[in-house]
Amino acid sequence: MSGATIDRRGLLGAGVAATIGIAGQAMAQGAVLAPGVSKADLAAALKAMRAVVGDAWVAGDAESLRPWSKSYTPDPTGRHAPVGAVAPENVEQVQAILKIANQYRQPLWPVSTGKNMGYGSTTTAAPGQIVLDLKRMNRILSVDTELCTALVEPGVTYQQLRDYLDEHNIPLWIDVPTVGPIVGPVGNTLDRGVGYTPYGEHFMVQCGMEVVMANGDILKTGMGSTKNPSAWQAFKWGYGPYLDGIFTQSNFGVVTKMGLWLMPAPPVYKPLVVRHKKMEDVARITDAMRPLRIAGIVPNVVLMMGAAYQLAMFHRRGEVTTKPAQVSDEEIAQFAAKHDLGMWNTYIALYGTPAQVAESERIIRGAFAAIDGDVMTQEQMKDNPWFHHHATLMRGGLSLEEVGLARWKGAGGGLAWFAPVAPAKGSETQGQIDLAKQILARHGFDYTAAFAVGMRELHHIIALLYDKSDPAEEKRADDCYRELVTGFGDRGWCSYRTGVHAMDLVAAQYGETNRAVNAAIKQALDPNHILAPGKSGIA
Amino acid sequence: MRRWALLPLMLLAAPASAQTGQALGQTLAQRPPAKTYASICAYCHGHNVGPIILGRKLPVEYIQAMVRAGRNGMPAMRPTEISPAELDALAVWISKAPKDIKEHGQ
Repeated sequence: MSGATIDRRGLLGAGVAATIGIAGQAMAQGAVLAPGVSKADLAAALKAMRAVVGDAWVAGDAESLRPWSKSYTPDPTGRHAPVGAVAPENVEQVQAILKIANQYRQPLWPVSTGKNMGYGSTTTAAPGQIVLDLKRMNRILSVDTELCTALVEPGVTYQQLRDYLDEHNIPLWIDVPTVGPIVGPVGNTLDRGVGYTPYGEHFMVQCGMEVVMANGDILKTGMGSTKNPSAWQAFKWGYGPYLDGIFTQSNFGVVTKMGLWLMPAPPVYKPLVVRHKKMEDVARITDAMRPLRIAGIVPNVVLMMGAAYQLAMFHRRGEVTTKPAQVSDEEIAQFAAKHDLGMWNTYIALYGTPAQVAESERIIRGAFAAIDGDVMTQEQMKDNPWFHHHATLMRGGLSLEEVGLARWKGAGGGLAWFAPVAPAKGSETQGQIDLAKQILARHGFDYTAAFAVGMRELHHIIALLYDKSDPAEEKRADDCYRELVTGFGDRGWCSYRTGVHAMDLVAAQYGETNRAVNAAIKQALDPNHILAPGKSGIA
Repeated sequence: MRRWALLPLMLLAAPASAQTGQALGQTLAQRPPAKTYASICAYCHGHNVGPIILGRKLPVEYIQAMVRAGRNGMPAMRPTEISPAELDALAVWISKAPKDIKEHGQ
């Protein structure tokens, strides 16, 4: 059965469920209650939650829910809008809220900082859920300057962590995704997000979790329940089955604390960009990069940024083309050249002593000279805003410049990330580009994309940019996204992550046994299905 | 407390290094408006992405509504991110703030 079919059935189910009788924008778009939950149950659950956290920290009507309902992802039928929000300030309140949810069978949608932009923000995978907003739980619980570790709550942003380290003169770096100031380590790691320093694979540098289970039990993973608390952030695996993984991209528990490793500030930091002129160069860039990444000569998560993606950050579509049809490579190349950009701009950075950096740079220059890449330094790129942006990210610096993408097509702010994964081989690139362009063009969208090279894998990161203020375009974006998922999935290129609008569709591509195992774990740990039904396709 | 009294001037001079004074194990205290602006708004407004909003005498209620609704490409900020008290102070501060010549907008 295809994920699309499942989704339509979900919609049909929604059609017969009771709609909420509160007038207002968010609710009026067709938000419905969760299966088996009555209007009275929801009202009683919200009332009980008010008694736990106080009136100010529960939202239950369209007006007060407005900031939780904002999303960049396509939602033409309004099925992803939450029906409430509750914001606890400590673990005890989380436990009390879970008890209420179990009592009324009212599902909750936990979010950490709620700014997973382009993946759904605080909107929910299935209708009728109350957002469990953990943003107020923003304590930095410990920073160990010898082990270079931290333990934080879900509401801690990268900005807060950076501020704490700076205010205490602690020479440690953080590693941020592209919207660092308003997101945090817990949420990003749990969604298996990445950053761009050598600590860019966030789940690799995660160490220890505290998880509130659906029944209120508190689990500490790894060394967390032993009598030596500092070992919690020092050793990932503990003893017995490694559990942390099942709390990422899942709905098996509410993570309320998480440990992470921090990188010592290096004596020398040297960002570089390698520019290539032709679209088809991406295959040889990937093949040149793979051995450098595997050997650790290029130590950070590498972004190969397509020119269109780069331009969309700081420019509007109308500056590049006047045609409504998909912007052409020629138009992009011309505009990019005027702004000192290649068709591919590969950002890498070196970290270490002067001698280490110099030797790595020598090897890298050799590898890229062989494939006609211009290796450019900070001095050469001067105040180029794109170089500045990536030089900021590759040292864990804070930036929100990528939010500019949401304005590429009109003012409507539509963005959905499509991120299929392949092995890091040049032979995997061109077929993906051709397929993406073809599907995007069919729906009237541009190919604004990048590739990222991790340890062995190649992420294709496609920003589906659309005007969300135009309902017809939002519908087209939704259709287009689904076709991207299925079209790529048929060729074996499946997403590493997706938005609330496509979780079922993507989960279906990972096999029936995989889904059945997840369903069995879900049933065992959350028999009333109160935690985020629909997350990652796990109902 | 003496340290806090110096904050506003310091923040205007160097927003990026503004202090939060967060201690280990404590939740983030109410931030002065200049710090809220520097920690969230200023990354887009006046920095290549969003329109300049300082020095325009924008109405306080308008700013508050924009922050919570997040018009167009702008994200909506929940009361859990910018508290009601922080938003009250922030909206007044933005409304009254002079233009910052270091900002460059779109």
